[in-house]
Amino acid sequence: MTNRAEIEEMIAQVALRDESAFSSLYDATSRKLFGVCLRVLSNRSEAEEVLQEVYVRIWHKADSYAVTGHSPMTWLITVARNLAIDRLRRRKAPTKDIDAVFDVADNRPGPEASAIASSERALLDACMNELDPSRADAVRKAYLEGQTYKNLAKHHGVPLNTMRTWLRRSLQALKECLTR
Amino acid sequence: MTAPADPNDEVLAGEYVLHLLDAEDRQRVEYRLRDDQRFQELVYQWEARFASIANEIEEVDPPAALKAAILAKVTSGPQKTSVARNWLIGALSMTAVALFAFIAVGPLFTSDAPQAEFQSELVSEDRSLILVASVIPATHEIVIDRLAGQPPAGRVFELWLIAEGSATPVSLGLLGAEDSTRIRVPDAIAPGVRTGTIAISEEPIGGSLTGTPTGEVLATGKFDDL
Repeated sequence: MTNRAEIEEMIAQVALRDESAFSSLYDATSRKLFGVCLRVLSNRSEAEEVLQEVYVRIWHKADSYAVTGHSPMTWLITVARNLAIDRLRRRKAPTKDIDAVFDVADNRPGPEASAIASSERALLDACMNELDPSRADAVRKAYLEGQTYKNLAKHHGVPLNTMRTWLRRSLQALKECLTR
Repeated sequence: MTAPADPNDEVLAGEYVLHLLDAEDRQRVEYRLRDDQRFQELVYQWEARFASIANEIEEVDPPAALKAAILAKVTSGPQKTSVARNWLIGALSMTAVALFAFIAVGPLFTSDAPQAEFQSELVSEDRSLILVASVIPATHEIVIDRLAGQPPAGRVFELWLIAEGSATPVSLGLLGAEDSTRIRVPDAIAPGVRTGTIAISEEPIGGSLTGTPTGEVLATGKFDDL
């Protein structure tokens, strides 16, 4: 079991080019970050490629972690998600093999470290619950799957501009709720 | 305490973090992030707010081989590149000198330096990528000159050889960021170059892990005598 302080320490050591800390960081976090890549890409081989990019990025950018003020998992998840969505956007045609993804997903509970503090989660959940359910769903899909306005509009059967307005108002409402 | 941020900026930062902006708007935001610390803070805030959504993502074991591949990239990576870079700079200046000499002296130019004896042009279908591969048989080297085309961000070009009569490509190496890359072909496969097919594919940083092209094969070519 790895806790937040330990992961933070590993990242600090990685910034100093400590290879064994990098190896430990990989062991402690790669299952979560692979899950993030798979969720966005729904394609195993692409997720594997992106996971490599993610750790190479972490190795080179570990010194920039502290600047963000993020918790270590927030930073790692953000790096993984950003690279996975970049990859998604470069795709020429969608190649979803969702079945293949869920065949391999396992349900073991993750180590404590891979979860964001539950108080933060509870706050976000409470604020998401204040949104209209379909709008909250759109926000979640944008975050978890990297969905575009266009896809979200299609999925919810609304015009593109309506979806844009929904999302922008939802972001405004979320911001107000979270900083209340 | 600072004054509350512009609500439009709050929303824009949220859209940026969710990757909802189109390419042009996204680029505009990234440009702004270079020196707008205030706006950068809004981005960090949204990243932190949304990250807990990821709690629901299941953990999945990556393939065991991936870790070794990643470690190999980061640990041997920097040293190798700097050596390779120095060597390449040397090679490039030699190429420049050779090229100058060739232009200056033309056909009268004779030298003991090994010369390229056959060449292949690799051109992608949309002509966005144009490479010229020249083979120097004496030293078992291929020099790849890039006339047009760059890999997308986070990708590299990898060169492959498919020997005549073989169905399996063999990796010859990755192209550097420079316009010219010199690749030493292993002695065992060098004799197959003249009659083989070379191909260029787009791969993740560090190259294909599988031993065969995983990305799109952009162009192939055969060699002609010079």
